[in-house]
Amino acid sequence: MIEFILNGKPVSTDDDPTTPLLWVVRDTFKLKGSKFGCGAGLCGACTMHIDDEAMRTCMLPISAVAGRQVTTIEGLGTMDDMHPLQTAWVNASVPQCGYCQSGQIMAAASLLTSNPNPTEADIDAAMSGNICRCGCYVRIKSTILSVAQQNLAYNAAQEQKA
Amino acid sequence: MSAMNMSRRQFLKTTGILGGGLVIGFSMTGCSSSELPIVLAPQGFVPNAFLQIMPDNGIRFYCPRDEMGQGVTTGLSTLIGEELDVHPKDMVILFAGVHSDYNNPDFGVQGTGGSSSLKAHYLQLRQVGANTRGLLVAAAAQDLGVPASAISTRDGHIVVAGQQYPYGQFVQTAAGLEAPTAAPMKSNNEFRYIGQEFARVDAAAKSTGTAEFGIDIDIPNMHHAVVRRSPVAGAKLKSVDKSAALNMPGVTDVIEISSGVAVVAEKYWQAKTAAAKLAPVWEEVALSKINSSDVRADYNQAMQQDDGVVDTDEGDVQAGLAAADHIVEAEYWAPFLAHAPLEPMNAVVRIENGEADVWSGTQGIVAAQGLVSRFSGIPVENVRAHNTYLGGAFGRRGTLTHVIEATEVAVASNKPIHLLWSREDDIQNGVYRPASLMKIKAGVKNDGRITAWQAKRVGGNITPKTLQNMMPALFPGLNDGTIDFMVGLSQDIFAGWMVDHASVEGLYEDYDTDNKTVNHVTVEHDIPLTFWRSVGHSYTSFAKEGITDELAEKAGMDPVAFRLKNTQGNPRLQNVIRVAQQHMRTMQPAEGRFLGFAAHNSFATDVAEIAEVSVVGKTIRVHKVTCIVDCGIAVNPDIVRGQMEGAVMFGLTAALYGDLELAQGAFKQSNFHDYPILKMSEAPQVEVIIIDSGTAPTGVGEPGLPPIAPAVASAVYQATGQRLRSLPLKIA
Repeated sequence: MIEFILNGKPVSTDDDPTTPLLWVVRDTFKLKGSKFGCGAGLCGACTMHIDDEAMRTCMLPISAVAGRQVTTIEGLGTMDDMHPLQTAWVNASVPQCGYCQSGQIMAAASLLTSNPNPTEADIDAAMSGNICRCGCYVRIKSTILSVAQQNLAYNAAQEQKA
Repeated sequence: MSAMNMSRRQFLKTTGILGGGLVIGFSMTGCSSSELPIVLAPQGFVPNAFLQIMPDNGIRFYCPRDEMGQGVTTGLSTLIGEELDVHPKDMVILFAGVHSDYNNPDFGVQGTGGSSSLKAHYLQLRQVGANTRGLLVAAAAQDLGVPASAISTRDGHIVVAGQQYPYGQFVQTAAGLEAPTAAPMKSNNEFRYIGQEFARVDAAAKSTGTAEFGIDIDIPNMHHAVVRRSPVAGAKLKSVDKSAALNMPGVTDVIEISSGVAVVAEKYWQAKTAAAKLAPVWEEVALSKINSSDVRADYNQAMQQDDGVVDTDEGDVQAGLAAADHIVEAEYWAPFLAHAPLEPMNAVVRIENGEADVWSGTQGIVAAQGLVSRFSGIPVENVRAHNTYLGGAFGRRGTLTHVIEATEVAVASNKPIHLLWSREDDIQNGVYRPASLMKIKAGVKNDGRITAWQAKRVGGNITPKTLQNMMPALFPGLNDGTIDFMVGLSQDIFAGWMVDHASVEGLYEDYDTDNKTVNHVTVEHDIPLTFWRSVGHSYTSFAKEGITDELAEKAGMDPVAFRLKNTQGNPRLQNVIRVAQQHMRTMQPAEGRFLGFAAHNSFATDVAEIAEVSVVGKTIRVHKVTCIVDCGIAVNPDIVRGQMEGAVMFGLTAALYGDLELAQGAFKQSNFHDYPILKMSEAPQVEVIIIDSGTAPTGVGEPGLPPIAPAVASAVYQATGQRLRSLPLKIA
């Protein structure tokens, strides 16, 4: 039995400890937003946050997340209560087929947490493990930059108020 | 027009094979029930196959085409919404089930491809919207006791004297009235949604992980299946010891099926782990001995020794060559490619009480229905086929062997089955963009006029292979013998009598010259082939534009000016090139960067691209691409831009990396480490300029791709002096 926190709720599973987290989340906990693309940590479609760090989960055994915080796209925001990145993604019509976008957004959210003011090179470095076969890279990058600027402006305004 | 050309066009007309896409023009009678596959809401009103209007003014649009990322749900809801006066964002958009009313008007089949959707449905869905609006206006006139002429409509409402009434208020009355069949449509200057930009209707679902793809389907008691297949296409299973998998945790069944051996388990990972324990033995087939070098040698031999079949013969090529001041002759190569959509192939099949359900993201849901029927023995009218979002397709999701597999496993295991391919399966057991060897010999005068164009292509044909995959799906009642006969016939026809247009499209059409020949030599190695984004154009543009650059150089002309000179007979393409030329003059590439140019017409759309490229050592880096496109009316210009951006990236992956090597009949590449996809750090900026020509829409999903490889190659020549005539591009 392995226990961890999934989107804020304690969960436990009898799945084999070597089972990759992705399949436990999809097949056992029925959260389908995280995707399978390569099974080899090469495309990033399965990206989730483990204690706030973006990780590929298609090869990550659940034994490695015992007791840890796992956040999926479902835990980041919802249709009614979107994360600012999700709102910006919609406004810029970033997705085409959309299959990679959960992973893209999770990777971007982790980047902005650790680096609120990324350069284009920072974004390239953080996002280059996330493949978009439809080629939405231009919009993904500009949308991350715009959300970062929006955050910085918001924070500056808050500081001024304080 | 020569006799040969005439007969080709007649054939296209009778069989419905159109510009790069294969279409089966036979009657579909008997393939779908006449009842619409629409779930009726309480008091919902269904005026036609595309709409359901609820008393609470909820409006459902049944989208007849498949959403693979190209934006078709937004585009088609914009068309019907424009005339109905309902904003697409205010509709619930559902994927249509199987019914002949949902056929692609261009194809006569319920399929999506060939960059056809906006063009094919442009008038149809607007007319349906206008007719439905007319019906609602008539109902409102009756209910409100005012003349129809006193009624206008706005955003889902009837408007009378400034008072607004939701459409839903009139559906009961409307249900008793006859709908008009040719209600007047808006003129272009009355459009409120067409030509506007708004967020894609699927963007929110796709940004929150809630868009449902085939892989996400989960039904009660569903079991998971993983298949081991021969690494060599067409090789059957000889033997397998099932016990190694049967003893693994969660495994319920190990089943021999037509494509190999399937392992069924309670969970995917159990099935995957158990399938890896199997050591199936495969038969040897002719392909088992073939390496990439053999394919190339066979193509070389055919190029040198075989005239093949004449596709086009206009004017007098020999006289044209004799009249030329300069002649260029060169061979161009393009390899086999996999589509590699990010969602691997999958299907869910449930068979219960003599009925079946199938869920799969496909480019033709009618084919999924047909295959389930054929391989389960259940009549099509008892098979419900449910489309989902497609996690990329690019032509790949027209071939549905995964639906056959899921059906066979569901029948044999007596369980609802979710069958999923791995990425390795996708790259190694797929259907491929054909490899091509192309040779063009052309002549040019010193004044820059092309005098002769002699082109030849060697390679496999898409159409017979696609027939092989589609006929069992579209004609589930037809027996295997008849299908084999028809597939064999098409193979023979294309090998010996006429050219499969998809094999040569784009190789010769764009530039002026009175003297043209196009020959084709079919060389097959039993490798499954199909459409791949932009089909024949994906490789012919590389040869055609490459030779054009070489001709321009011989004539001592700027390559862009040279193209302007040779597009007198092709004014829309010429205009795109002219706009690109004006734009190019304003560009000042940084030190060490060079501009390459290419233009191409495909799917009735004209595109020119300017690539800004640097070469450092052996690394080609594309910094920026400017894309000029004329696709007629841009129904949603932002989606047009997105498709051009995406096609540039897709084409760059092929231009810089895409290669599959054959070793003993099996493809060596297996996953994204050795079949790389362009990454964000390698992606250029893309600027898209849409020419507003005001004519009816033409293709958008594919035409952005063909110019990119030759544009980059042209820039590489500027940078290094090397003419690269092989894809992927490699600096010598």
